[in-house]
Amino acid sequence: MELQECKARAGPREFGPHDDLPREYREAATRMIQFHANSEIMGAYLERPFIRQSPSLDRKLAFSAKVQDEIGHGQLLYRAAESLGVKTREEMLDELANGEGKFLNCFHYPMTEWWETPMIAFFVDGAAMRRQATIKRTSWEPYAHAMDKICFEEGFHIKHGEHIMRELATGSRREQQLLQEAFEEWWPRILQFFGPTDDESTHHDFAAEVGLKTMSNDELRQAFLNAYLPKATEYGLEIPDEPRIREEDGRYVVEEDDLDWEEFWAVANNDYAGSHEQIDARASAHDAVAWVRATISGETA
Amino acid sequence: MIWEVFRQDEPGGYHTHCGNVHAPDREMALLFAEIQHARRKPTNSLWVVPQKEIASQTDETDRFGGTTDKTYRWVSAYNVDVEFAKEIEDSDREQRSVAGDSA
Repeated sequence: MELQECKARAGPREFGPHDDLPREYREAATRMIQFHANSEIMGAYLERPFIRQSPSLDRKLAFSAKVQDEIGHGQLLYRAAESLGVKTREEMLDELANGEGKFLNCFHYPMTEWWETPMIAFFVDGAAMRRQATIKRTSWEPYAHAMDKICFEEGFHIKHGEHIMRELATGSRREQQLLQEAFEEWWPRILQFFGPTDDESTHHDFAAEVGLKTMSNDELRQAFLNAYLPKATEYGLEIPDEPRIREEDGRYVVEEDDLDWEEFWAVANNDYAGSHEQIDARASAHDAVAWVRATISGETA
Repeated sequence: MIWEVFRQDEPGGYHTHCGNVHAPDREMALLFAEIQHARRKPTNSLWVVPQKEIASQTDETDRFGGTTDKTYRWVSAYNVDVEFAKEIEDSDREQRSVAGDSA
Protein backbone atom coordinates (compact mmCIF):
# COMPACT_ATOMS: atom_id res chain seq x y z
CA MET A 1 0.00 0.00 0.00
CA GLU A 2 1.27 3.46 -0.87
CA LEU A 3 1.53 6.05 1.90
CA GLN A 4 -1.06 8.20 0.18
CA GLU A 5 -3.63 5.39 0.19
CA CYS A 6 -2.77 4.60 3.81
CA LYS A 7 -3.54 8.19 4.81
CA ALA A 8 -6.75 8.22 2.77
CA ARG A 9 -8.01 4.99 4.33
CA ALA A 10 -6.88 5.79 7.90
CA GLY A 11 -9.70 5.35 10.41
CA PRO A 12 -10.54 3.49 13.62
CA ARG A 13 -9.28 -0.14 13.52
CA GLU A 14 -8.75 0.16 9.78
CA PHE A 15 -5.47 -1.75 9.43
CA GLY A 16 -4.40 -5.22 10.57
CA PRO A 17 -1.62 -7.77 10.06
CA HIS A 18 -3.05 -8.76 6.66
CA ASP A 19 -2.61 -5.30 5.19
CA ASP A 20 0.51 -4.50 3.26
CA LEU A 21 1.34 -1.23 4.99
CA PRO A 22 4.03 1.28 4.12
CA ARG A 23 7.26 1.12 6.07
CA GLU A 24 6.62 4.61 7.52
CA TYR A 25 3.34 3.48 9.05
CA ARG A 26 4.77 0.30 10.54
CA GLU A 27 7.73 2.14 12.02
CA ALA A 28 5.63 4.93 13.51
CA ALA A 29 3.14 2.45 14.99
CA THR A 30 5.98 0.32 16.39
CA ARG A 31 7.57 3.38 18.01
CA MET A 32 4.26 4.42 19.59
CA ILE A 33 3.22 0.97 20.85
CA GLN A 34 6.71 0.06 22.03
CA PHE A 35 6.79 3.29 24.06
CA HIS A 36 3.41 2.42 25.53
CA ALA A 37 4.46 -1.18 26.34
CA ASN A 38 7.75 -0.02 27.90
CA SER A 39 5.79 2.45 30.04
CA GLU A 40 3.49 -0.27 31.35
CA ILE A 41 6.52 -2.33 32.38
CA MET A 42 8.41 0.59 33.95
CA GLY A 43 5.27 1.70 35.81
CA ALA A 44 4.85 -1.78 37.22
CA TYR A 45 8.43 -1.79 38.49
CA LEU A 46 7.94 1.63 40.10
CA GLU A 47 4.94 0.36 42.05
CA ARG A 48 6.27 -3.10 42.83
CA PRO A 49 8.00 -2.05 46.11
CA PHE A 50 4.61 -0.96 47.45
CA ILE A 51 3.41 -4.55 47.50
CA ARG A 52 5.86 -4.83 50.38
CA GLN A 53 5.38 -1.31 51.73
CA SER A 54 1.59 -1.37 51.81
CA PRO A 55 0.23 -0.40 55.22
CA SER A 56 -2.54 -3.04 55.17
CA LEU A 57 -3.34 -6.42 53.69
CA ASP A 58 -6.08 -4.91 51.48
CA ARG A 59 -3.62 -2.49 49.91
CA LYS A 60 -1.02 -5.24 49.49
CA LEU A 61 -3.47 -7.42 47.58
CA ALA A 62 -4.61 -4.52 45.43
CA PHE A 63 -1.04 -3.45 44.60
CA SER A 64 0.00 -6.99 43.70
CA ALA A 65 -3.08 -7.34 41.46
CA LYS A 66 -2.30 -3.99 39.87
CA VAL A 67 1.37 -4.78 39.20
CA GLN A 68 0.29 -8.10 37.68
CA ASP A 69 -2.20 -6.21 35.45
CA GLU A 70 0.43 -3.71 34.28
CA ILE A 71 2.93 -6.42 33.33
CA GLY A 72 0.07 -8.11 31.45
CA HIS A 73 -0.65 -4.83 29.63
CA GLY A 74 3.01 -4.64 28.63
CA GLN A 75 2.82 -8.16 27.21
CA LEU A 76 -0.39 -7.40 25.26
CA LEU A 77 1.19 -4.29 23.80
CA TYR A 78 4.46 -5.98 22.82
CA ARG A 79 2.28 -8.49 20.91
CA ALA A 80 0.42 -5.64 19.21
CA ALA A 81 3.76 -4.02 18.31
CA GLU A 82 5.35 -7.28 17.21
CA SER A 83 2.48 -7.88 14.75
CA LEU A 84 3.72 -4.86 12.75
CA GLY A 85 6.73 -6.92 11.69
CA VAL A 86 9.36 -4.30 12.51
CA LYS A 87 10.75 -5.60 15.83
CA THR A 88 10.40 -8.76 17.86
CA ARG A 89 9.36 -8.74 21.51
CA GLU A 90 12.86 -9.93 22.39
CA GLU A 91 14.40 -6.93 20.63
CA MET A 92 12.07 -4.52 22.38
CA LEU A 93 12.78 -6.03 25.81
CA ASP A 94 16.52 -5.86 25.09
CA GLU A 95 16.19 -2.20 24.14
CA LEU A 96 14.38 -1.51 27.39
CA ALA A 97 17.17 -3.19 29.34
CA ASN A 98 20.06 -1.48 27.54
CA GLY A 99 18.60 2.01 27.87
CA GLU A 100 17.50 2.53 24.27
CA GLY A 101 13.81 1.94 24.91
CA LYS A 102 11.87 5.11 25.69
CA PHE A 103 9.05 5.36 28.24
CA LEU A 104 6.76 7.82 29.99
CA ASN A 105 8.37 10.80 31.73
CA CYS A 106 6.71 10.18 35.13
CA PHE A 107 8.31 6.76 35.45
CA HIS A 108 11.84 8.20 35.40
CA TYR A 109 11.44 9.57 38.92
CA PRO A 110 11.90 7.53 42.08
CA MET A 111 8.81 6.91 44.19
CA THR A 112 9.76 5.88 47.70
CA GLU A 113 7.00 6.93 50.09
CA TRP A 114 3.49 5.59 50.54
CA TRP A 115 1.93 9.07 50.33
CA GLU A 116 3.41 9.49 46.85
CA THR A 117 1.50 6.49 45.49
CA PRO A 118 -1.70 8.38 44.53
CA MET A 119 0.44 10.61 42.28
CA ILE A 120 0.98 7.63 40.01
CA ALA A 121 -2.03 5.51 40.90
CA PHE A 122 -4.55 8.33 40.55
CA PHE A 123 -3.12 11.23 38.52
CA VAL A 124 -0.67 9.50 36.15
CA ASP A 125 -2.89 6.46 35.62
CA GLY A 126 -5.84 8.81 35.17
CA ALA A 127 -3.94 10.76 32.51
CA ALA A 128 -2.89 7.49 30.87
CA MET A 129 -6.43 6.18 30.83
CA ARG A 130 -7.74 9.39 29.32
CA ARG A 131 -5.24 8.89 26.51
CA GLN A 132 -5.85 5.15 26.24
CA ALA A 133 -9.60 5.63 25.86
CA THR A 134 -8.87 7.62 22.67
CA ILE A 135 -6.58 4.85 21.37
CA LYS A 136 -9.55 2.47 21.21
CA ARG A 137 -10.07 4.27 17.91
CA THR A 138 -6.50 3.89 16.63
CA SER A 139 -6.01 2.62 13.08
CA TRP A 140 -3.83 -0.41 14.08
CA GLU A 141 -6.48 -2.95 15.03
CA PRO A 142 -4.33 -5.14 17.34
CA TYR A 143 -3.48 -1.98 19.32
CA ALA A 144 -7.18 -1.09 19.64
CA HIS A 145 -7.97 -4.63 20.80
CA ALA A 146 -5.29 -4.40 23.49
CA MET A 147 -6.89 -1.13 24.59
CA ASP A 148 -10.29 -2.79 25.06
CA LYS A 149 -8.84 -5.06 27.72
CA ILE A 150 -6.52 -2.47 29.24
CA CYS A 151 -9.28 0.11 29.70
CA PHE A 152 -11.54 -2.56 31.17
CA GLU A 153 -8.98 -3.29 33.90
CA GLU A 154 -7.69 0.22 34.42
CA GLY A 155 -10.87 1.44 36.16
CA PHE A 156 -9.92 -0.54 39.25
CA HIS A 157 -6.43 0.99 39.28
CA ILE A 158 -7.65 4.56 39.28
CA LYS A 159 -10.44 3.99 41.77
CA HIS A 160 -7.92 2.28 44.05
CA GLY A 161 -5.57 5.25 43.61
CA GLU A 162 -8.33 7.67 44.48
CA HIS A 163 -9.25 5.54 47.48
CA ILE A 164 -5.70 5.87 48.84
CA MET A 165 -5.75 9.60 48.14
CA ARG A 166 -9.04 10.02 49.99
CA GLU A 167 -7.68 8.09 52.94
CA LEU A 168 -4.67 10.38 53.15
CA ALA A 169 -6.63 13.56 52.42
CA THR A 170 -9.07 12.79 55.22
CA GLY A 171 -6.38 11.42 57.54
CA SER A 172 -4.20 13.13 60.12
CA ARG A 173 -2.89 16.64 59.50
CA ARG A 174 0.54 15.13 58.97
CA GLU A 175 -0.82 12.82 56.27
CA GLN A 176 -2.58 15.72 54.61
CA GLN A 177 0.64 17.71 54.65
CA LEU A 178 2.72 14.86 53.23
CA LEU A 179 0.14 14.36 50.48
CA GLN A 180 0.34 18.06 49.62
CA GLU A 181 4.16 17.89 49.48
CA ALA A 182 4.04 14.86 47.21
CA PHE A 183 1.53 16.65 45.01
CA GLU A 184 3.76 19.73 44.69
CA GLU A 185 6.72 17.58 43.72
CA TRP A 186 4.82 15.51 41.16
CA TRP A 187 2.44 18.12 39.71
CA PRO A 188 4.85 19.60 37.08
CA ARG A 189 5.75 16.08 35.89
CA ILE A 190 2.08 15.20 35.65
CA LEU A 191 1.46 18.33 33.55
CA GLN A 192 4.30 17.23 31.28
CA PHE A 193 2.75 13.78 30.86
CA PHE A 194 1.16 14.82 27.58
CA GLY A 195 4.44 16.18 26.26
CA PRO A 196 5.20 19.54 24.75
CA THR A 197 2.76 21.79 22.90
CA ASP A 198 1.68 20.50 19.51
CA ASP A 199 4.10 22.50 17.41
CA GLU A 200 7.04 20.98 19.30
CA SER A 201 5.81 17.41 19.28
CA THR A 202 8.00 15.46 16.88
CA HIS A 203 5.78 12.59 15.92
CA HIS A 204 2.22 13.85 16.19
CA ASP A 205 1.50 15.02 12.66
CA PHE A 206 2.28 11.76 10.95
CA ALA A 207 0.65 9.64 13.66
CA ALA A 208 -2.53 11.72 13.31
CA GLU A 209 -2.48 11.54 9.51
CA VAL A 210 -2.41 7.75 9.51
CA GLY A 211 -4.96 7.46 12.31
CA LEU A 212 -2.65 6.07 14.98
CA LYS A 213 -3.46 9.00 17.27
CA THR A 214 -6.90 10.53 17.37
CA MET A 215 -6.28 13.49 19.70
CA SER A 216 -3.40 15.92 20.01
CA ASN A 217 -1.31 16.35 23.17
CA ASP A 218 -2.94 19.71 23.87
CA GLU A 219 -6.46 18.36 23.56
CA LEU A 220 -5.60 15.47 25.86
CA ARG A 221 -3.96 17.71 28.45
CA GLN A 222 -7.05 19.92 28.37
CA ALA A 223 -9.40 16.96 28.82
CA PHE A 224 -7.23 15.69 31.67
CA LEU A 225 -7.17 19.04 33.48
CA ASN A 226 -10.92 19.47 33.13
CA ALA A 227 -11.48 16.22 34.99
CA TYR A 228 -8.53 16.00 37.39
CA LEU A 229 -7.82 19.56 38.50
CA PRO A 230 -11.23 19.86 40.21
CA LYS A 231 -10.54 16.44 41.78
CA ALA A 232 -7.31 17.66 43.37
CA THR A 233 -9.13 20.67 44.77
CA GLU A 234 -11.97 18.48 46.02
CA TYR A 235 -9.48 16.57 48.18
CA GLY A 236 -8.14 19.78 49.65
CA LEU A 237 -4.94 19.84 47.61
CA GLU A 238 -3.65 23.30 46.82
CA ILE A 239 -2.58 23.75 43.21
CA PRO A 240 0.99 25.14 43.25
CA ASP A 241 1.40 28.76 42.04
CA GLU A 242 3.83 27.55 39.43
CA PRO A 243 3.43 26.44 36.74
CA ARG A 244 0.76 29.08 36.27
CA ILE A 245 -2.56 27.81 35.00
CA ARG A 246 -5.06 30.36 33.69
CA GLU A 247 -8.69 29.78 32.96
CA GLU A 248 -9.68 31.16 29.59
CA ASP A 249 -13.20 30.66 28.22
CA GLY A 250 -13.69 27.55 30.32
CA ARG A 251 -10.31 26.14 29.25
CA TYR A 252 -7.21 25.70 31.39
CA VAL A 253 -4.12 27.16 29.82
CA VAL A 254 -0.79 26.01 31.26
CA GLU A 255 2.06 28.54 31.11
CA GLU A 256 4.48 26.30 29.26
CA ASP A 257 7.52 28.43 30.10
CA ASP A 258 7.03 27.66 33.79
CA LEU A 259 7.78 24.00 33.15
CA ASP A 260 11.31 22.61 32.96
CA TRP A 261 11.58 21.39 29.38
CA GLU A 262 15.32 20.82 29.61
CA GLU A 263 14.62 18.20 32.26
CA PHE A 264 11.75 16.83 30.18
CA TRP A 265 13.99 16.27 27.14
CA ALA A 266 16.74 14.76 29.28
CA VAL A 267 14.10 12.36 30.61
CA ALA A 268 12.75 11.72 27.11
CA ASN A 269 16.25 10.69 25.99
CA ASN A 270 16.82 8.45 29.04
CA ASP A 271 19.53 10.89 30.08
CA TYR A 272 18.22 11.93 33.49
CA ALA A 273 19.78 10.59 36.71
CA GLY A 274 16.49 8.89 37.58
CA SER A 275 16.31 7.32 34.13
CA HIS A 276 19.49 5.32 34.70
CA GLU A 277 18.33 4.34 38.16
CA GLN A 278 14.95 3.04 36.94
CA ILE A 279 16.32 1.31 33.83
CA ASP A 280 19.15 -0.37 35.73
CA ALA A 281 16.88 -1.46 38.58
CA ARG A 282 14.50 -3.05 36.09
CA ALA A 283 17.37 -4.62 34.13
CA SER A 284 18.81 -6.24 37.26
CA ALA A 285 15.37 -7.50 38.31
CA HIS A 286 15.03 -8.94 34.81
CA ASP A 287 18.49 -10.59 35.04
CA ALA A 288 17.72 -12.01 38.47
CA VAL A 289 14.96 -14.18 37.00
CA ALA A 290 16.88 -15.19 33.85
CA TRP A 291 16.93 -18.76 35.25
CA VAL A 292 13.11 -18.84 35.14
CA ARG A 293 13.07 -17.91 31.47
CA ALA A 294 15.85 -20.40 30.72
CA THR A 295 13.97 -23.15 32.52
CA ILE A 296 10.76 -22.41 30.66
CA SER A 297 12.36 -22.32 27.21
CA GLY A 298 14.44 -25.40 28.03
CA GLU A 299 11.30 -27.35 28.78
CA THR A 300 9.49 -26.39 25.63
CA ALA A 301 12.47 -26.63 23.27
CA MET B 1 -10.95 -33.57 9.80
CA ILE B 2 -12.83 -31.01 11.87
CA TRP B 3 -12.14 -27.29 11.71
CA GLU B 4 -13.37 -24.78 14.29
CA VAL B 5 -14.81 -21.62 12.75
CA PHE B 6 -14.43 -18.06 14.03
CA ARG B 7 -16.47 -15.27 12.50
CA GLN B 8 -15.97 -11.52 12.68
CA ASP B 9 -19.09 -9.37 12.09
CA GLU B 10 -17.48 -6.06 11.31
CA PRO B 11 -14.02 -4.72 10.56
CA GLY B 12 -12.17 -4.06 13.80
CA GLY B 13 -14.29 -6.53 15.81
CA TYR B 14 -13.23 -9.79 17.45
CA HIS B 15 -13.35 -13.15 15.75
CA THR B 16 -15.77 -15.19 17.85
CA HIS B 17 -16.30 -18.91 17.73
CA CYS B 18 -19.46 -19.86 15.85
CA GLY B 19 -19.22 -23.60 15.22
CA ASN B 20 -17.23 -26.16 13.21
CA VAL B 21 -17.14 -27.93 9.86
CA HIS B 22 -15.78 -31.16 8.36
CA ALA B 23 -13.27 -30.56 5.58
CA PRO B 24 -10.25 -32.32 4.12
CA ASP B 25 -8.07 -29.20 3.92
CA ARG B 26 -7.78 -25.48 4.71
CA GLU B 27 -9.28 -24.29 1.46
CA MET B 28 -12.31 -26.55 1.71
CA ALA B 29 -12.70 -25.67 5.38
CA LEU B 30 -12.92 -21.98 4.48
CA LEU B 31 -15.43 -22.73 1.77
CA PHE B 32 -17.64 -24.85 4.04
CA ALA B 33 -17.30 -22.32 6.88
CA GLU B 34 -18.44 -19.60 4.52
CA ILE B 35 -21.45 -21.61 3.36
CA GLN B 36 -22.36 -22.77 6.85
CA HIS B 37 -21.69 -19.70 8.96
CA ALA B 38 -21.34 -16.63 6.78
CA ARG B 39 -24.21 -16.98 4.37
CA ARG B 40 -26.77 -14.95 6.30
CA LYS B 41 -25.01 -13.47 9.31
CA PRO B 42 -23.17 -10.25 8.54
CA THR B 43 -19.56 -11.33 8.08
CA ASN B 44 -16.40 -9.41 7.47
CA SER B 45 -13.88 -12.19 7.99
CA LEU B 46 -13.61 -15.89 8.86
CA TRP B 47 -10.91 -17.98 10.50
CA VAL B 48 -10.71 -21.76 10.44
CA VAL B 49 -8.48 -23.67 12.86
CA PRO B 50 -7.86 -27.44 12.96
CA GLN B 51 -9.74 -28.71 16.00
CA LYS B 52 -6.82 -30.84 17.19
CA GLU B 53 -4.64 -27.71 17.35
CA ILE B 54 -6.86 -26.19 20.03
CA ALA B 55 -5.94 -26.68 23.66
CA SER B 56 -8.69 -26.23 26.19
CA GLN B 57 -9.63 -26.47 29.82
CA THR B 58 -12.93 -26.06 31.60
CA ASP B 59 -14.23 -25.00 34.97
CA GLU B 60 -14.89 -28.65 35.78
CA THR B 61 -11.19 -29.22 36.30
CA ASP B 62 -10.07 -25.66 37.03
CA ARG B 63 -11.39 -22.86 39.14
CA PHE B 64 -10.71 -19.91 36.86
CA GLY B 65 -9.53 -16.93 38.86
CA GLY B 66 -8.76 -19.16 41.85
CA THR B 67 -10.80 -19.94 44.92
CA THR B 68 -9.79 -17.10 47.22
CA ASP B 69 -11.66 -13.83 47.61
CA LYS B 70 -10.50 -11.46 44.83
CA THR B 71 -12.89 -8.57 45.40
CA TYR B 72 -9.90 -6.23 45.66
CA ARG B 73 -9.40 -6.62 41.90
CA TRP B 74 -12.76 -5.11 41.07
CA VAL B 75 -13.99 -1.56 40.74
CA SER B 76 -16.86 -2.37 43.07
CA ALA B 77 -14.47 -2.68 46.03
CA TYR B 78 -13.62 1.02 45.95
CA ASN B 79 -16.31 3.44 46.95
CA VAL B 80 -15.16 6.60 45.20
CA ASP B 81 -16.67 8.83 42.56
CA VAL B 82 -16.44 7.68 38.93
CA GLU B 83 -18.63 10.30 37.32
CA PHE B 84 -15.87 12.86 36.87
CA ALA B 85 -14.26 10.93 33.99
CA LYS B 86 -16.19 9.10 31.29
CA GLU B 87 -13.48 6.49 30.66
CA ILE B 88 -13.55 5.45 34.34
CA GLU B 89 -17.35 5.27 34.30
CA ASP B 90 -17.09 3.03 31.22
CA SER B 91 -14.59 0.70 32.88
CA ASP B 92 -16.72 0.65 36.03
CA ARG B 93 -19.81 -0.28 34.04
CA GLU B 94 -18.01 -2.95 31.99
CA GLN B 95 -16.56 -4.56 35.11
CA ARG B 96 -19.89 -4.49 36.94
CA SER B 97 -21.68 -6.08 34.01
CA VAL B 98 -19.11 -8.91 33.85
CA ALA B 99 -19.15 -9.45 37.59
CA GLY B 100 -22.95 -9.28 37.75
CA ASP B 101 -22.18 -6.79 40.49
CA SER B 102 -21.57 -9.71 42.82
CA ALA B 103 -17.82 -9.17 43.18
